[in-house]
Amino acid sequence: MRLSQSLFLLTVAGSSAHASSDKAARPRGVGPEFAKFYQETNTFTCISNPAVKIPFSAVNDDFCDCPDGSDEPGTAACSHLSQNSPLTVADRPGHSEMELTLALPGFYCKNKGHRPSYVPFQRVNDGICDYELCCDGSDEWARVGGTKCEDRCKEIGKKWRKEEEQRQKSMTAALKKKKELLVEARRQQADIQKNIAQLQSEIKEADLKVAGLEAALKVVEEQERKVVRTKGKGKVNALAGVAKARVQELREGVLELRQQRDDTLERMKELEEILSKFKIEYNPNFNDEGVKRAVRSWEDYAARELGDGISEDKERDLEEIVKVDGKDSGVDWEHWENEDDGCAESDLVYKLAAYFPPSLVQFIEDKVLSARSFLEDNGILAKPNSDSSSESKAVTDARDALKSAEDSLNRLNNKVNDQQSDLEKDYGSSGIFRALKGQCIEKDAGEYKYEHCFLDSTKQIQKKGGSNMSMGKFTQISITTVEELSETGDVINIEKVALEYERGQSCWNGPNRSTKVILECGEQNEILKIAEDEKCVYSMLVTTPAVCPGGEDEAAPSKDEL
Amino acid sequence: MAGSRPVSAWTLFLSLLVLIGCIVVPGLTVKHENFKTCAQSGFCKRNRALADDASAQGTSWSSPYELDSSTLQFKDGQLTGILIKTTTANEKLRLPITVSFLESGSARVIVDEEKRMKGDIEIRHNSKVNKKRYDETEKWVLMGGLEASKSAALNAEAEAGFTKVQYGPGDKFQAIIRHAPFEVEFQRDGQTHVQLNHQGLLNMEHWRPKVDKEGDNDSGEDESTWWEESFGGNTDSKPRGPESVGIDVTFPGYSHVFGIPEHADSLSLRETRGGPGNHENPYRMYNSDVFEYELNSPMTLYGAIPFMQAHRKNSTVGVFWLNAAETWVDIVKKPASSNPLSLSGSSKTNTQTHWFSEAGRIDLFVFLGPSPQEISKTYGQLTGYTQLPQHFAIAYHQCRWNYITDEDVKDVDAKFDKYQIPYDVIWLDLDYTDDRKYFTWDPLTFPNPKGMQEKLDESERKLVVLIDPHIKNKDDYYVSKELNSKGLAVQNKDGDVYDGWCWPGSSHWVDCFNPAAFTWWNSLHKYDKFQGSLSNLFIWNDMNEPSVFNGPETTMPKDNIHYGDWEHRDIHNVNGITLVNATYQALLERKKGEVRRPFILTRSYYAGAQRMSAMWTGDNQATWDHLAISLPMVLTNGIAGFPFAGADVGGFFHNPDKELLSRWYQAGIWYPFFRAHAHIDTRRREPYLISEPHRTIISQAIRLRYQLLPAWYTAFHEASINGTPIVRPQYYEFPDDEEGFAIDDQLYLGNTGLLAKPVVTENTFTTDIYISDGEKYYDYFDYTVYQGAGKKHTVPAPEDKIPLLIQGGHVIPRRDRPRRSSALMRWDPYTLILTLNKNGEADGTLYVDDGETFDYERGGYIHRQFQFRDSILSSEDLGTKGPKTAEYLKTMAGVTVERVVVVDPPKAWKDKSTVTVIEDGAKTASTSSLEYFEQQGSKASYAVVKSPNVGIGKSWRIEF
Repeated sequence: MRLSQSLFLLTVAGSSAHASSDKAARPRGVGPEFAKFYQETNTFTCISNPAVKIPFSAVNDDFCDCPDGSDEPGTAACSHLSQNSPLTVADRPGHSEMELTLALPGFYCKNKGHRPSYVPFQRVNDGICDYELCCDGSDEWARVGGTKCEDRCKEIGKKWRKEEEQRQKSMTAALKKKKELLVEARRQQADIQKNIAQLQSEIKEADLKVAGLEAALKVVEEQERKVVRTKGKGKVNALAGVAKARVQELREGVLELRQQRDDTLERMKELEEILSKFKIEYNPNFNDEGVKRAVRSWEDYAARELGDGISEDKERDLEEIVKVDGKDSGVDWEHWENEDDGCAESDLVYKLAAYFPPSLVQFIEDKVLSARSFLEDNGILAKPNSDSSSESKAVTDARDALKSAEDSLNRLNNKVNDQQSDLEKDYGSSGIFRALKGQCIEKDAGEYKYEHCFLDSTKQIQKKGGSNMSMGKFTQISITTVEELSETGDVINIEKVALEYERGQSCWNGPNRSTKVILECGEQNEILKIAEDEKCVYSMLVTTPAVCPGGEDEAAPSKDEL
Repeated sequence: MAGSRPVSAWTLFLSLLVLIGCIVVPGLTVKHENFKTCAQSGFCKRNRALADDASAQGTSWSSPYELDSSTLQFKDGQLTGILIKTTTANEKLRLPITVSFLESGSARVIVDEEKRMKGDIEIRHNSKVNKKRYDETEKWVLMGGLEASKSAALNAEAEAGFTKVQYGPGDKFQAIIRHAPFEVEFQRDGQTHVQLNHQGLLNMEHWRPKVDKEGDNDSGEDESTWWEESFGGNTDSKPRGPESVGIDVTFPGYSHVFGIPEHADSLSLRETRGGPGNHENPYRMYNSDVFEYELNSPMTLYGAIPFMQAHRKNSTVGVFWLNAAETWVDIVKKPASSNPLSLSGSSKTNTQTHWFSEAGRIDLFVFLGPSPQEISKTYGQLTGYTQLPQHFAIAYHQCRWNYITDEDVKDVDAKFDKYQIPYDVIWLDLDYTDDRKYFTWDPLTFPNPKGMQEKLDESERKLVVLIDPHIKNKDDYYVSKELNSKGLAVQNKDGDVYDGWCWPGSSHWVDCFNPAAFTWWNSLHKYDKFQGSLSNLFIWNDMNEPSVFNGPETTMPKDNIHYGDWEHRDIHNVNGITLVNATYQALLERKKGEVRRPFILTRSYYAGAQRMSAMWTGDNQATWDHLAISLPMVLTNGIAGFPFAGADVGGFFHNPDKELLSRWYQAGIWYPFFRAHAHIDTRRREPYLISEPHRTIISQAIRLRYQLLPAWYTAFHEASINGTPIVRPQYYEFPDDEEGFAIDDQLYLGNTGLLAKPVVTENTFTTDIYISDGEKYYDYFDYTVYQGAGKKHTVPAPEDKIPLLIQGGHVIPRRDRPRRSSALMRWDPYTLILTLNKNGEADGTLYVDDGETFDYERGGYIHRQFQFRDSILSSEDLGTKGPKTAEYLKTMAGVTVERVVVVDPPKAWKDKSTVTVIEDGAKTASTSSLEYFEQQGSKASYAVVKSPNVGIGKSWRIEF
């Protein structure tokens, strides 16, 4: 009791700085800082419009005389003076052209036993006891409709002081935690720097290793090439025979493949017709989630980036290819089969392709691969067991060694780059969020749980079934403006640190989900509230010690101003 | 490795076809294939064929109906007899007819079928359905006004083959009944205004056995739609065969007809038999859940009121077709050359209307006016007047599908206060329920419904939740269990419980035609049954057409069976209000002793719904066109006796841009029912979320509605005692100005002289307001003067301005102090705005009561007449004292007039500085200060009386 009373004196002392000028009783609803305007006894000068003077008896006479509302500090008579009101010329007689500036922040509640505060004029004498702002009940002084608001400042003040004490304690604890976070963040930063140094020396070693292995591979390959050169040659006509059989085989493959393609396309077309009809005919008003999901997937599918489709040229090429070979089309096998072995160099075989039109070569290659893969995928052809190319083990080994050395060098380089860019990344003031990165907090809200992992992601987790939905991945730390109520009930803009998460799961008829996590100073990392401000645009209110004021100055950690 | 190439080649091929598949872009128009055109509706086709036949035969056409003169009797204002129909097979069928002349001045014609009245017919398919023609529509619709005229008398001078009856106020009305062929002419002051069967289209498809004929159809009639009809995969078994009824109603000399909602169309109804600017199909009334409805269309919508007004210079007449079955109305306007009507006021046009319904009786009321107000009053005597709603119901409603948790609701509530935007009611669409089971709360998202309602109650706000007639078919749901165990559900044609699909999936429908269902429905709303609901919770009855997702035309099959063995066909259009009626009874007294005025919003309606509920125009879209059409739709509802109407502000489907949303609020404040609503797939758009300057624009609009609530409540009160629309079209206020008859984009608020013309087109910053009379009109905000009869006046309309004028000659009551909710304005003082007419006079009224109980029925109200005559403003009592009067006046004793603003006062007032105030009961007169403010140019000067502080419930005089 006694302790709380002294606390009360402290709070009042702060607000009664102007109290010295407050000799005569102030008119109802006037705060001490405005007392000086209400001193005269004969005339009252409207505060923001000093040209307008009225008899002092018109102050608080429940009729609005001043264009700035200053003559009615204790009633709701001027509450209509607001940008939000449909003002007519007679609402500020003779002054309707003047800019609307309100002189007073609201009705001043003394709240003896608690903190004084202002209540918006529109709540004065409306029949509701606004204890949150006006614990002494003085806002309902006219007792309209028999309203009686007893003075509850004693209990409300007591409760508030208790909470305030708790809040102070909590702030102290929060600051302590913040300092720990700062220390941790610095430690992590130092670790990374150390790490980078370490990695860089490893890279140097790896560079050397790669250079060595490259040289070794060159040597082995050089030897190998000589060996290959000595391998035997085949007969042109024998080859032609094989090639002919092979080409025939390929042609049949292409034909078969084309048939299969056409069949599949036919089916697909049918399916897509069903789906696009479905999309047009379904009724979104029925809001069947399953149907909506299906339509959405269809839309995504339908909107996907498309290639050029089957061009007529290519189709003509294909037509050309599948014609039976003869003098006028494809390869004239007879010519090759009857060819002497005169030009028996194996290189000629490889020049075979030169007799095809280049587009055909390319096309055959593509088609063969595609045919093969298709046939393999469908179990028609067996997959080749292994690469049949015959490189010597020595070359393979040398190549593998080089490859693995290169890989590890790349890995090291990547690591360094990662670390370096991490160092350069914005981790907030003093890099404090480094210490929180990846830490996850959760909040229960009805059928969902919401998860926020600092600088990583936000998620909605369905309790039934537990399916996850991404509400965004971290993009940046920003400063955001939040509209809050001032003590006087005005909407004011406050800047807050925010963490932004974007490109979450895409929304039905909407954007990809995104979340703005707005941070407030608090002892715990805790999600207070989740709101869907717009369709699929979420905001989360999160407390964390990281944004509490102060503490950055490690040099003076003992100074406790709270 | 190699695999990647072929795959991409494949994608190539697939993609092409995908491309082809995507060419079709989804449209936003109604699915026409889901709803019948006239040609797809058997009886519509048949009745139109009859009309075509008659028209083709011209003067040689003769109606095969004649009155058997020997059967005629006239007694107690009622003429009865037998109408004989001669069939194509030369059969003579007896159709009992009754023509009643009522004290209210209306006349009623009923035609039934004797065979069916006696049950002397056979029903096919062994169906148990009732053999009679449905004759219980009036049970749901009529309230009174049926007292027979005491003065109605036969005119002895009638020539042979005619019967004449004199009736109505001052015996100025006369019905002339020609026996053969049957025709009725209704005259007022010797002039014919309404003709029945003048075109010879009377049609009562009599019962006949189905004869399986082979070869030629000897009757020559098209029987293809007599016995069975299929539409959209559903076959109607039609156990009673063809049974439609129809008649033509001609309005000679009338070129405008209004009414018969609900259609998304202009106020003045169009012709329906083709031609440029006309419709191809008749106006249809078959209550339906029409998804993405189209505009400027005669297609049916959610509700139906088969009440039509015909208007010509200085004369309004009307007809009311009391039939609950599917109904169509054809309208044709013909030059009146053949029958010149030399009398003043008549145009050279006859409007011929043709009404037909699929089943039931002919039951038609004829009203002879002569003013729109008299029509409203007489129609209201029959079907009831608008309920005087709870006061909160006429304030601003904030709705969305859906506020997703109880915390969400509390957050929205707090945000309105934070931005100081008033609102009274927040709404929960269906997703508050546990798995779409009504009378339950989702335990995860609404764990604390009571806490939420208590929070709302702190600023006297209300909650409205959705309760629909479809009950989820689930064993462990007690409502479903009770519905079935008590046998209260609608049945299918075989007599089993009808199972259809709606929001909850498989569902059953409560059959409110059953009195036992009424009692049961009532019990479900008790606090101990609907747990978690408090006294500030009210109800929204949606989907009560009924909407059935898998039913024909998204509703029930017509051969479903209701209580009393009536087919759904018989009762379809009143189905919606039976639910509303049951809910109304349930809300009257949710616990013993707590009797309050119910509030219900209904989507489906019929004549009579105005006694119990408000309506909205259903699922509109966020487009300028939809904003524009909302005005004629709301006006039409008003003249059809159901003025408590509105459209979803902002548009239900899709996202409005800020300009559209702001303009919609500026228009929406003129809807008697003012609610913002949005589809679940739209972005949030509560007014405080909209960025400046639009937030301010919207706030100002909402606050303007609140400022004028005294005028609105007075207009509602007037509607509740004499049926006048709350917002009125031009013709209603100026029935003699032909130029104004078709105007439906500007409106008058009650009797206040406030004329609003909301901007309903994009990028529009001036608007033209049409003024009928020679009075001065003043801009509401800056008193700019507009004067000049019979022409349009250009009024500036920047984005933040609502084009709004006040006609000279009015006293408008306002409350200027903005509060969190309308209930909190209860004790605030009034401001009176005066505009003087040419004679320097002004009039106005004010009605106030507790806005919640029925105490007003026992005198607990204030009703004042304000008059300005000879420089004296006075307040006189219009009320009648009752047991609650003194008590109510006592509670209002401290409520006064804080300010009187006189716009454009006499110049002489310049030198006045005081006025004399004399209040009844005060010992001495007092003075108040008066200040005169000069304005320049076209802006009128004004004078302000400061704090006369006269009691609002008292008689007083202010002498200027």
